[in-house]
Amino acid sequence: MRPIAATMRAAVAEAWANRSAFWTQLAAMALNDLVWVVFWVLFFGKVGTVAGWDRTRVLLLLATVTTGAGIVLGLLSNARRIGQLLVDGGLDAALALPVRTLPYLLVRRVDAVNVGDVVFGIGLFFVACHPTPERTALYVLGATAGALVLIGFLVLVGSLSFFTGRSEAGDLGFQAVILLASYPVDIFSGATKALLYTAIPAAFVSAVPARLVDHLTVSDLATLLSAAVVFVTLAATTFAIGLRRYTSNALWTRA
Amino acid sequence: MTVAKSWASVAAVSSARRAGRDPIALAVSVGFFAIVASVIATLWRTAAHVHGGSVAGYTAVQLTWYLYFAEAAVTALNPRQIELTGDDIATGAVAVDMLRPASVVGLRIATEFGRCVPRLTASAVVGSGLALITGGAPTDSVGLLLALPSLVLAVLCNLAAQHAVAGAAFWVRDARSAWFLYQKLIFLLGAMLIPLEALPHWLHRTAELLPFVTMAYAPARLASGHVEPPLLLLQLGWLVVLVAAAVAVFGAGERRLQVVGG
Repeated sequence: MRPIAATMRAAVAEAWANRSAFWTQLAAMALNDLVWVVFWVLFFGKVGTVAGWDRTRVLLLLATVTTGAGIVLGLLSNARRIGQLLVDGGLDAALALPVRTLPYLLVRRVDAVNVGDVVFGIGLFFVACHPTPERTALYVLGATAGALVLIGFLVLVGSLSFFTGRSEAGDLGFQAVILLASYPVDIFSGATKALLYTAIPAAFVSAVPARLVDHLTVSDLATLLSAAVVFVTLAATTFAIGLRRYTSNALWTRA
Repeated sequence: MTVAKSWASVAAVSSARRAGRDPIALAVSVGFFAIVASVIATLWRTAAHVHGGSVAGYTAVQLTWYLYFAEAAVTALNPRQIELTGDDIATGAVAVDMLRPASVVGLRIATEFGRCVPRLTASAVVGSGLALITGGAPTDSVGLLLALPSLVLAVLCNLAAQHAVAGAAFWVRDARSAWFLYQKLIFLLGAMLIPLEALPHWLHRTAELLPFVTMAYAPARLASGHVEPPLLLLQLGWLVVLVAAAVAVFGAGERRLQVVGG
């Protein structure tokens, strides 16, 4: 674990090296997220409630998804680039090192922009989501589990590039899961809603963790933790199988 | 002038052909559009159904067409265009464009417009199909027809404005974060996520005075069945202003550009 921890420290130091850029990017993302708050306030100001969701519940959803996604896209930034790295041959530099490839890739890059999501999510929770010790603990647990589901999904769809030779599926999967996780799951029905609990697990990234904070049930908690285990396991397995058939495109600079 | 025009048309046509020759990339971007537009259309349609069939004067069907066209106009462009153009300026890559006997910004806008055409066409077709299936038939076909040239004008206005903003990189070197904020202005003040009529009165009035409404609201409003030809004139007027602004910014920037290295 020591090389991985050292790599992560280096990635953090790299992002922190240009402090003015770090703070600018962090502030830009926080401002970006604030626009979503404005949208939801305007939307629910106009329509009241929709499918059982109101302004308070959606702000909790937003706090959860920005925190969970911010952890993944900010601190484990390469998670969304796995497919691109594979297609460009960017894995080569990592393969030459005496460390486990996937953990190394994940901790290799920190993206300050998405660290802004984490800061915003935490801030939003404490400002607008009625924090109590119990709710705060559930929020931390839910956001962490949601982050695990997200990282599992991103690595899984990115690893498909081992087999297809293209990275578009990973890009589309990334965009889809982030987008769908940002909306109340109950506006969807039928097959679309089922999709959000299975193939594109957006519900486990945001709606289920947010529901835990408001109303803790053993079944929701067990389902969320199971989803996290399933997606992380699937991701690690698919990456390991794919890595055995990896051939390089010999670009050394993007790992 | 003729040489400059031919450079622009060659750039637009060749980039449109290049974009059209990558069907997988096109399918992915249209797939992304379909997901985004379907989600936001579902949200508003559900809201309309819950609240007696309409919101802010739009029926569920009108909202569906509105949102598919608003999204089509915006997602046809690369959302990070400001960042890409700004990087080209900051790294000095733009100096290569300055060697050509044509306006740098004109050439860039033409190239990007050409690249957008296949995406815009495919998004309009797919969006119309999805709106028809999920919402129903358009309430006014004349409005829908007017929405087509309006989509083109929306893309041109957006491109011109993005280049005017990206031109700031001639002075500040790093315009990367600007695209985030610019996109959000289109989302709200351009009425991409929320119809202008659903905004509070003061924000509605403010948005009407800004160019962002030409980039999403205009084609969306027309496609939703509101036959309002003045919207096309509004787009044309803003297009002239935005292109002039982009030309002025690039002109001033090019005069002060210093590129080190080769």
